[in-house]
Amino acid sequence: MSITRRVFVRSGGLALFSLGLDPLFLARAAFASFQSSNVPSGHPILVCLFQRGAVDGLNMIVPHGDALYYRERPRIAVPARDVIDLDGYFGLHPGLAALKPLWDNKSLAAIHAVGSPDSTRSHFDAQDYMESGTPGVKATPDGWLNRYCRHDREHQDTPFRAVAFGPQLPRILAGTAPSLAIDDLQAFGLRVPQEAARDRLTRAFEALYEGSATGLLASSTQEGFEAMQMLKQVNPAQYQPAHGAEYPRGRLGRSLLQIAQLIKAEVGLQIAFADVTGWDTHVNQGASDGQLAARLKELGDGLAAFARDLDERMRDVVVLTMSEFGRTIQENGNSGTDHGHATAMFALGGPVNGGKVLGKWPGLGVEQRFEGRDVAVTTDFRDLFGEILVRHLGAADLGPVFPGYNPNPARFPGAITA
Amino acid sequence: MHLFVLLALTLQSGGAGVASMTPPAAPRQALTPRDSAFHALSRLAYGPRPGEVDGVARLGVMGWIDAQLDPRRIDDRALAEREQGFQLLGYNREDLARAYLAAQRARQERQRAGGAAAGEPADGLDMAPEMLRARRLAAELQELVVVRAVLSERQLREVMVDFWTNHFNVFFGKGADRFLTPSYIEETIRPNALGRFEDLLIATAKSPAMLFYLDNAESVAPGSIPPQLARLERSGLFDPMRVDSLRRRALERMPKGINENYARELMELHTLGVDGGYTQRDVIDVARIFTGWSIDRPQQGAGFAFHEWAHDAGEKTVLGTKFPAGHGMDEGLRLLKLLAAAHATMHHVSAQLCARFVADDPPDGCVDDAVAAWHHSDGDIREVLRAIFHGPDFWAPRNVGTKLKTPLEFVVSAVRAVGAEPDTTPRLALVVARLGEPLYQHVAPDGYPEREDAWVNSGALLARMNAALGLASGKLPGVTVRPDAIAPAIVDADQLIAAIDAQIFAGTLSAHTKRAIRDQLADIHDPAQARVLAIGMALGGPEFQRQ
Repeated sequence: MSITRRVFVRSGGLALFSLGLDPLFLARAAFASFQSSNVPSGHPILVCLFQRGAVDGLNMIVPHGDALYYRERPRIAVPARDVIDLDGYFGLHPGLAALKPLWDNKSLAAIHAVGSPDSTRSHFDAQDYMESGTPGVKATPDGWLNRYCRHDREHQDTPFRAVAFGPQLPRILAGTAPSLAIDDLQAFGLRVPQEAARDRLTRAFEALYEGSATGLLASSTQEGFEAMQMLKQVNPAQYQPAHGAEYPRGRLGRSLLQIAQLIKAEVGLQIAFADVTGWDTHVNQGASDGQLAARLKELGDGLAAFARDLDERMRDVVVLTMSEFGRTIQENGNSGTDHGHATAMFALGGPVNGGKVLGKWPGLGVEQRFEGRDVAVTTDFRDLFGEILVRHLGAADLGPVFPGYNPNPARFPGAITA
Repeated sequence: MHLFVLLALTLQSGGAGVASMTPPAAPRQALTPRDSAFHALSRLAYGPRPGEVDGVARLGVMGWIDAQLDPRRIDDRALAEREQGFQLLGYNREDLARAYLAAQRARQERQRAGGAAAGEPADGLDMAPEMLRARRLAAELQELVVVRAVLSERQLREVMVDFWTNHFNVFFGKGADRFLTPSYIEETIRPNALGRFEDLLIATAKSPAMLFYLDNAESVAPGSIPPQLARLERSGLFDPMRVDSLRRRALERMPKGINENYARELMELHTLGVDGGYTQRDVIDVARIFTGWSIDRPQQGAGFAFHEWAHDAGEKTVLGTKFPAGHGMDEGLRLLKLLAAAHATMHHVSAQLCARFVADDPPDGCVDDAVAAWHHSDGDIREVLRAIFHGPDFWAPRNVGTKLKTPLEFVVSAVRAVGAEPDTTPRLALVVARLGEPLYQHVAPDGYPEREDAWVNSGALLARMNAALGLASGKLPGVTVRPDAIAPAIVDADQLIAAIDAQIFAGTLSAHTKRAIRDQLADIHDPAQARVLAIGMALGGPEFQRQ
């Protein structure tokens, strides 16, 4: 036995994975049994996509029925012939063509003129406020999605309740309620290529922490080990999207695919979050084609693939896009747009009151603008977020989620079917 | 209170040297000399390197602490040599501004040519040389933190640089702070890390990085007109139409009034603390006092500039103190001195120091000792620290080995524990980032938190275990490991575990941890493999997460 082993080791053989461990190490490994989660299907799920950099709402949901739009944007307006008309006044940017069927089947709504009551045009401050949920208050330590999780404890038994796709936990999920940041589902866990060795090491650490860890260290590692155990069942490496759904290449497509995977795995996911970057189009943003068009196409194709992949499960899902502010009505000297105020957001999913452009449209006239240049905010983002928390996730009390704000259902934009 | 002042005065009256030779006898009885050395190395330093616990115990822990409080007298040549490998240190602020603007231009040109979308992280292949240079300099800025923390003999100074970097946080990702942060660290934070608090406060207030980060550079008295614009108006004779459009464009870009951002954070975070007794009226008048504290344009090096034309010339009142009209920049300096000496400031900053060095919830006695030392030393940070390190709370067994390491502390202490050498690539800083603490990337002005609950989440802990296993197996990128410094590759599990316990934990490893590691070693007969596994589990285990 020992000779065989030595030969094996010396010859390099399987060379025992990245750690260089003994083959016997493998032999001793036993597989822990998978404990199925007790989360029933049919619970509501919220997926938030943050368009960082401030998306140009006016070229995403185009007011093609307004001559002012064309007058202010001679070089970057989307020509009326290219716009996918929605209601005679607004239309989709052609890059979002994949979303039209979802509009037609009433699962996609747009909310225009939504934004922050704070007038900052700094990406940094505005993102901070949109994630903390407290416009104008910098000292808020946690994010509004985390505060929601803390005050609505129904789902706290699963480590996958709130998951951000990316290397760090975003501000919106920062706080004391447990939430996971997962950069890559396949890589969540101990990075040892061979499964048996990984299992053995995992259990070794589990034993180590069970006896020696105190306080948060003990509970958090327990969550992590449980999550890994559940993920083993999910087997992320083997995932095949359903119904021929094809996710676009790139970070957004990968995030959406992994979110779909977790939803189908029924591990208790309630809140998912991912970033989509590349919207800060100061220079040469393009019209029907070009820079912004490419970003929108990725977004539209990604959302369409997600809806196709999840199919019937979309009845429980709401996807919400958000962005820190919009961009100037007038194009700038570089065929781009500068930092503005209100923007547009999408809500997609079975519970959505779709096929409509929601929100009170303030108009593009000079006297209707915010500070004489930007689309005015007519829907406080907290009214939209609050509506989704209450009417979709069933939140009982928004007070702790948006401190200092008094959400009023009368101001909800109506994004969720009553 | 008086008692504490007296006590501190007595301790200090004989001068630092005398005080240092008489460690407080009673409180330390619970710890052996090696325990004390291990504790001091865990808190005042980024953990011991192999053999260091014995060295400090031999020298006497209080002597070592005194030496750390006087870093100029510590030879740090090895680090100085390593620093030569960092090109960043050869760039001044003007060079950096130029390099950054060149990268920005290159990026915009690519965008114009229809390349990658704005803000999309390029993968390096299609980056212009200017962009690659800016990226490399940014990576060096982060890696330098790790290399200094691992290699410097002036460990306490590095710990304090980290403390002040978070106390006076700036965000590297905000516009001009990309090229202002390096000089902020080198010229503002590092030279003042163990000096007087007032000097540090004034240095940060005048630093371009802070002026930009908290928007004070944009804060002007309402209605003030920059001289360029005034000149333009005077020259309006030759082409009124053109002047009018130029003027309108300039006015559009002009800041319109005061910005309270810095004023508020100055009092809430930097000095008095959120309960420090100031009002919204105080915030406004502090902002008025700092109108005109701004920066040159990047082309001119983006240095500090006081713009008389932007300064609010009226009278102000802060915390009941009158600031008569017309004193320009001196008003701000006077205010900073007032804030630096305020009792609320001493208390707020002392409590943070005690939280850093003693316990997340700082004991009252520790804070009182620190405040007393602050009082009589006129805010000498070294004396405040000395009071903390001499206090009974620092040495109380309930506070030993209890503080959770931040990701930076974890990575650096692990690298030091195995006697490893970091290289100058950004890979170790990337590990720190992956564990949740991307350096200089904390967006909010409060800096990275010190409390345990901010750092413990399951994803982050798994990442720590992976980093530990990677380091033990020599596969963590960016470091060369010398496992022989810890333990020879031996077959006997008990001997191996004993060596790890002695070298890395100064004999404090729990029986449970030793047993858990021994269980895993039972069927592993290759000594090298056994050593990798044992060190990996020890560094990834719960005890190494604390200090």
